[in-house]
Amino acid sequence: MASVTVTDDRQAIEVSRLTKRYGTVTAVRELTFTVEPGVVTGFLGPNGAGKTTTMRMLTGLVSPSSGTATIGGRPYARLPKPSRTVGAVFDADAFHPGHTARDHLRVYAAMGGCPDTRVTELLDLLGLTEAADRRTRGFSTGMRQRLNLATALLGDPRVLLLDEPSNGLDPEGMLWLRGFLRRLAGEGRTVLISSHVLSEVQQLVDDVVVIRRGELVAAGPWSRLAGPPAVLVRSPDADRLAAALRDSRPDGDAPQVEAAGHGGLRVRGLDAPGVADLAAAHQLRVHELVTEKSSLEQLFLDLTSDKAATS
Amino acid sequence: MNHLIKAEFRRLSATRVGTGLLLAAVLFGGGLMGAMALVGPENFDPPMPGLDTEAGLRAVLGMLGYTAFVPAAVGALAVSSEYRHRTAAVTFLFAPRRWQVLVAKLATYGVTGLVYGLVLAGTAAAALFTVAAARGIPLGLPSGLVLALLARIGLAMVVYLLIGVGVGALLRNQVVAVGVVIGYLYLGEPLLMMIPGVNALYPVLPGGATAALTDFTYLADAMSQEVGSTAVRLLSPAAGALLLTGYALAASLIAIILPMRRDIT
Repeated sequence: MASVTVTDDRQAIEVSRLTKRYGTVTAVRELTFTVEPGVVTGFLGPNGAGKTTTMRMLTGLVSPSSGTATIGGRPYARLPKPSRTVGAVFDADAFHPGHTARDHLRVYAAMGGCPDTRVTELLDLLGLTEAADRRTRGFSTGMRQRLNLATALLGDPRVLLLDEPSNGLDPEGMLWLRGFLRRLAGEGRTVLISSHVLSEVQQLVDDVVVIRRGELVAAGPWSRLAGPPAVLVRSPDADRLAAALRDSRPDGDAPQVEAAGHGGLRVRGLDAPGVADLAAAHQLRVHELVTEKSSLEQLFLDLTSDKAATS
Repeated sequence: MNHLIKAEFRRLSATRVGTGLLLAAVLFGGGLMGAMALVGPENFDPPMPGLDTEAGLRAVLGMLGYTAFVPAAVGALAVSSEYRHRTAAVTFLFAPRRWQVLVAKLATYGVTGLVYGLVLAGTAAAALFTVAAARGIPLGLPSGLVLALLARIGLAMVVYLLIGVGVGALLRNQVVAVGVVIGYLYLGEPLLMMIPGVNALYPVLPGGATAALTDFTYLADAMSQEVGSTAVRLLSPAAGALLLTGYALAASLIAIILPMRRDIT
């Protein structure tokens, strides 16, 4: 699109003091965060944390009680060509069952003012060409997911929002989705995906925004929030192992070692195989070797169990 | 706006609803009219005046008005199916100025109603003239007037489609919306006619206004006699047309305004 200027090209999402109340229940409270272009951002939180409500407020489907949500500096409803700026997938199954995949895309291509060649292009891109003329009622979860993505991508948007995209996907589908979203982010697009399962997105996201009960818990790059991974090792030769670890890299980049009680050591800067190999090389005994959860994983686990305890 | 209308036509023509509606138009127009003319109103139970009388002919034409529940039900699908199949979110993502989507739907269904009405009236006229000629019955009204009356019924179908769209937008639940539309038009209105006192309302209800278009009083009169109430006086055809237009406008306004602020969850 020749008319798109460079400044318009990279569109950040900005959420500021966003609040949604349903009667006496506050689904989202004073939420503030930014989603940067060029990376994949995970929007994480337990079920019922307010992720879907927030994403629907971002796209004008739900009106906020207060606060603002903008995309490239404008509220969704004021975007000049919304489907060319933002593509969003909310429901796993949002098709008329009597429509074929091609019918469905043709309806929305017309609505977004896209040429019909774009429909063929997307059917091809998402591997739906063979299923294009079948009615969607017979589609598998993976095919539905891909048709949803095709619909969202009709306008070649710079911002992509996906609500729980991994729901119902098999590992193969998840792998495909991961590669696909990586590529889109690599093209400088803004990608926001929500999930209630951290492990499903941890290999995919660069940044995270974590919410609980409608409030922000943490936001920032994954690597910073997750902290360096730690390995817990127990050995009757703990003192000698600690010394060996500290001396393993004389150039000063040695692993950090701290005592963890009962002959245990917490090691940062060396993974479990590295610790085991080092112990073997020094003929030291190892009774236990565990890779500990990252601080983000631990945080997430706490959120989820906290939710289970209070509901 | 044009691309939204284009989208709605694509949406409608991709399902079987469009073809089904055309089929219904032929069935209720040519089929029903042909059957009534073939049997002859004089052989109905209870017997009615024949096709060679004005009352008999108007009665047969007026009967067509009672098939209005079909286009109304199709209209009720327009908005409610978007909620049922969860495409409403996608639609309003593509067109966040929601009123434009509804205007596009109304335009699409208005044109569809017009086509339905034309096919209904056209096949009915063909069947009536053919069967009457074959049976050698001179019609009780001049051909030009018969055609004009049929055309009025055809146009009324546009109104019913739009009323359906409005009800669907109001209720959103597809089963309930279609149920209410069919229930009211097919059963509700005829039942109202039988209730003394309430039947005074009949002339200003959609059914009464449609009957006024063809000055079809036979059924209402018969019912009044049956239950011993005073005869219902229909509006003039022009007033009936005006009232129907009012109903169409009201339904359209409901359809446009209601979805504007609602949360799509």
